Amino acid sequence: MAKKTYDLLFKLLLIGDSGVGKTCILFRFSDNHFTTTFISTIGIDFKIKTVELRGKKIKLQIWDTAGQERFHTITTSYYRGAMGIMLVYDITNEKTFDDIVKWLRNIDEHANEDVEKMILGNKCDMEEKRVVSKERGEAIAREHGIRFMETSAKSNINIECAFSELAEAILDKTAGREADADLARIAVERRPSRAPPARACCS
Amino acid sequence: MSDADIKDAVENEYVEDGSNKLLVKCKFCGSKILERKSGKFVRKEIDLPLMEQDKRVEAKVQYEKIYQFFFVENMYTFENIGFTHTIDNCKYLSCADCDAGPVGYYDMDTKHSYVALSRVKHE
Repeated sequence: MAKKTYDLLFKLLLIGDSGVGKTCILFRFSDNHFTTTFISTIGIDFKIKTVELRGKKIKLQIWDTAGQERFHTITTSYYRGAMGIMLVYDITNEKTFDDIVKWLRNIDEHANEDVEKMILGNKCDMEEKRVVSKERGEAIAREHGIRFMETSAKSNINIECAFSELAEAILDKTAGREADADLARIAVERRPSRAPPARACCS
Repeated sequence: MSDADIKDAVENEYVEDGSNKLLVKCKFCGSKILERKSGKFVRKEIDLPLMEQDKRVEAKVQYEKIYQFFFVENMYTFENIGFTHTIDNCKYLSCADCDAGPVGYYDMDTKHSYVALSRVKHE
């Protein structure tokens, strides 16, 4: 059992204001009238998911902030070791979108500088309550040179896809590193920062 | 059949060379939890909270005794799994896709995980 059964391990974080649906991205179950699941009472701390990308078996360890964002206590220890960050806002709540800039600053201050980021406009199933257009989401992502996607945790739109895309971006960065850290090669292969267009498979 | 016979039958069907003979999956959604041969079979008696808790029984967690587990030394051995927040030095394990659980528990001291044979599907 000691043998390693995967190629790479990526630690990913969910960040954003309270109420944007971070916990729903991690936890989808809903209780019925008479029973409650034990799990929904305690809540999920993190998940491990396995994806295959370019023939590599990759383990994603995905963490929720567990409400720490309310007390502005998200600091270095939470970001430690994070290789990818999902920055989440709620398309029906203007303030959560405005706060994306604050979160980006927080990430710059506390996270590893080459952490891969992605912005998610969540709750895209609630079109009738939308106050933040998709274009504005795309614009802010472009401005900061990071990826963007609209998602719905409730309707399970783009969630899996968002994680695969973030993992793929990290894979791009780490490519070469595992092959005995040929530093010169990494420098050459590292791609410039850019916001790629939304991918066909996901929209 | 006695309880002991049932236990033996389960072990014959799902255990081979001391580890899980079949894939371990979520009973409800089929999400893959463990690859074949990646959990070591162990017998131990643990009270595990029921998956469904009756809301009408106030403020009391309902448990059942479980005796058969697959032991997983390193959490990254799991294919897909969720970990709850910590209670009494333990995290409960749940399906990473549909959140059904507990399917087992994780000991914070030893960092070892245990998956209950009776709470998962073997395929």
